[in-house]
Amino acid sequence: MNLERLPNEEKLTLCRKYYLGGFAFLPFLWLVNVVWFFREAFVKPAYTEQLQIKTYVKRSGLGLLLWVTVLTTWITIFQHFRAEWGAVGDYLSFTIPLGIP
Amino acid sequence: MGFFVLLASVICNSVEKKIYVNLNNTVPCVRLLNATHQIGCQSSLSGNVGVVHVLESEENLEWVLSSGPHPPYVVILDSPLFTRSVMMKLKNGSRRVAGIAVVAPNANPPEGFSPHTTCPNENTGVYSEDYDPIFAHCNITVWNPLGNGLSYEEFDFPIFSLKDDNETQVIRQCYLDHNRAANGTAPQYPLCAIELFSHMSAVTDTATCMRRNDINFSISPEIVCDPLGDYNVWASTRPLNNTAKGHKMWESVVIAAARLDSRSFFFDIAPGAESGVSGFITLLAAAHALRNATQQAPPNRTILYTLFQGETFDYIGSSRMVYDMQNNQFAVDLNNVHSFLEIGQVGLRSDSKLWLHSDQLSRKNTSVNDEKLIENLQSAAGRVGISVGEVGFSQPLPPSSFQRFLRAKPIPGVVIEDHQSAFTNRFYASMYDNAEYLNVSYPSNLTLEEQLEWVTDTAQALTEVATIVAQALYKQAGGQDVEARGITADPKMVARMLYSFLIRSNNSWFQQLHSSEPTLLVQYLLANLTGSTVNREGFCTRSTVRLSKALSPAFELRDYTSKEYSTWTESRWKPFKGRIFLLSLFSKADMLFSSGREPTNATY
Repeated sequence: MNLERLPNEEKLTLCRKYYLGGFAFLPFLWLVNVVWFFREAFVKPAYTEQLQIKTYVKRSGLGLLLWVTVLTTWITIFQHFRAEWGAVGDYLSFTIPLGIP
Repeated sequence: MGFFVLLASVICNSVEKKIYVNLNNTVPCVRLLNATHQIGCQSSLSGNVGVVHVLESEENLEWVLSSGPHPPYVVILDSPLFTRSVMMKLKNGSRRVAGIAVVAPNANPPEGFSPHTTCPNENTGVYSEDYDPIFAHCNITVWNPLGNGLSYEEFDFPIFSLKDDNETQVIRQCYLDHNRAANGTAPQYPLCAIELFSHMSAVTDTATCMRRNDINFSISPEIVCDPLGDYNVWASTRPLNNTAKGHKMWESVVIAAARLDSRSFFFDIAPGAESGVSGFITLLAAAHALRNATQQAPPNRTILYTLFQGETFDYIGSSRMVYDMQNNQFAVDLNNVHSFLEIGQVGLRSDSKLWLHSDQLSRKNTSVNDEKLIENLQSAAGRVGISVGEVGFSQPLPPSSFQRFLRAKPIPGVVIEDHQSAFTNRFYASMYDNAEYLNVSYPSNLTLEEQLEWVTDTAQALTEVATIVAQALYKQAGGQDVEARGITADPKMVARMLYSFLIRSNNSWFQQLHSSEPTLLVQYLLANLTGSTVNREGFCTRSTVRLSKALSPAFELRDYTSKEYSTWTESRWKPFKGRIFLLSLFSKADMLFSSGREPTNATY
């Protein structure tokens, strides 16, 4: 979708939808929000809705950062300690590699 | 379109044949797991690739472990170098070792070799801290002094066994042509390399792999290991009601036992000539000899012939039978057992003497009376002309199935062996414990059929032991002396069995039994030898031979960390392969394995 052709109110509604949608455990929506609306929020010359769009983009960015930290930490811990956790590690896994602990 | 695909694949195949030489007669070592450890070998998921190095001496190891410029190496070992010290050094240098290939010689080495431990089954026998701690852990008698424990070590690279034939000669020649360092200059690419693939799926220990077998919540559930197990073969001289399990009133049973199995360092090679075959052939011959006497003049007690499977791995078969007896899952129970006679390793009788081993602690119990059994054995031996010695009280029982019965209940019993203290068997649980070691050899001018019928000296010697066992069993079961004197084993039967089990099982006699699986062969053979022919079309025998499951009770109880029972499992794997090829400077495999090993060798 080309944001150029949209009137500003619709840009705002779109940004808001993606921002709210991300709270449903969908951090990719926040990623999309940040990437897609970055230029709109920070690069383009100011317009009325831009302030709100900027807030949404900033908050989406924060949320995204939080998710990335949490996921990275968990993935690192899991990959490192799964073998030591024995039964718990096995029950948490979808596929268990063959032949290595 | 399909034609072009076909053409492409045909062309690719022929190029592949120009690059790789597949190794056909290779046998790997596999991974086995128990309650606490994993043993054996493992390769990576894509196979281990290494530069070939034929080891010349133990000092030459230094090339492989530190100075050679093209690690990792696959070391080709000749059998004199297949020793514990070489293997441990290679194990410790495993960053530079990609695998080992052992060349199995055509003749047995002159000095002994046993990859098993020095004290077989030390934790699952009867001698423990609770029962006679003096004898626990082979404190007094080390049964297998030549044991180097290699079979019970863990290696993280594959170890394959090659036959010493043309294929191996190709490898040696390839090494001499490309890999040999000439006069101090390092060898240059292209180098001869070998790829060994024996990826094992199971890891850590039995509890882990059994748990992973059972996981339902995974995308692709895969069985990674299987418990070791098979069937025990048993038969009785008088029919026993097998549907009525548990104690049988008025039934008194003399158990005559032997073990069926053996192992070696490599997978599926287990000739076990002295450690297993000598014992069970003697028992089969004794059962055959007793057929007429027990049918025409049946003694008071029933003789129960039991052949146990899986004894090498912590007494799988005998522990299961004892467990079944204790839980009323077997035709008789332990209170029905009158006495126990086990035939151990009897093939190497030096100075023609047999030894009777018994357990001193159980004999101190006044209800346990070994004297009768020993006396019967001695009088039978006297008639046959063999001298029999009774091992003194200062010694424990050797590793034997009888120990598992003693663990449950004190029973009078004797284990017959050809050694007084340590094993005479210098190749216990190794691939060299074969026909050559037992001196089973035939004159070269005989045809295969004539070899089947030829009675070797070994066969004659085993026949004598079988006669002694048969007569003693008959007397022990309450038979009369007069009858016992007439019982003799048939040397031709023993000779045929020796040939079939040790040399060639694909012969005219075994083909009548219509099976190639060892346990079933023994079952049909026992049926043939103890049963009576029924007049039907074809070949029909009525006998009392049955199979009983030989799976460790630990798997029935789901106690995978059991200290009481065997917990051995074997990993599953993908098909093994090995191949040799020339490795060039710019090949992809070179990049894959030279990066991350030695930075100076990154050549791209």
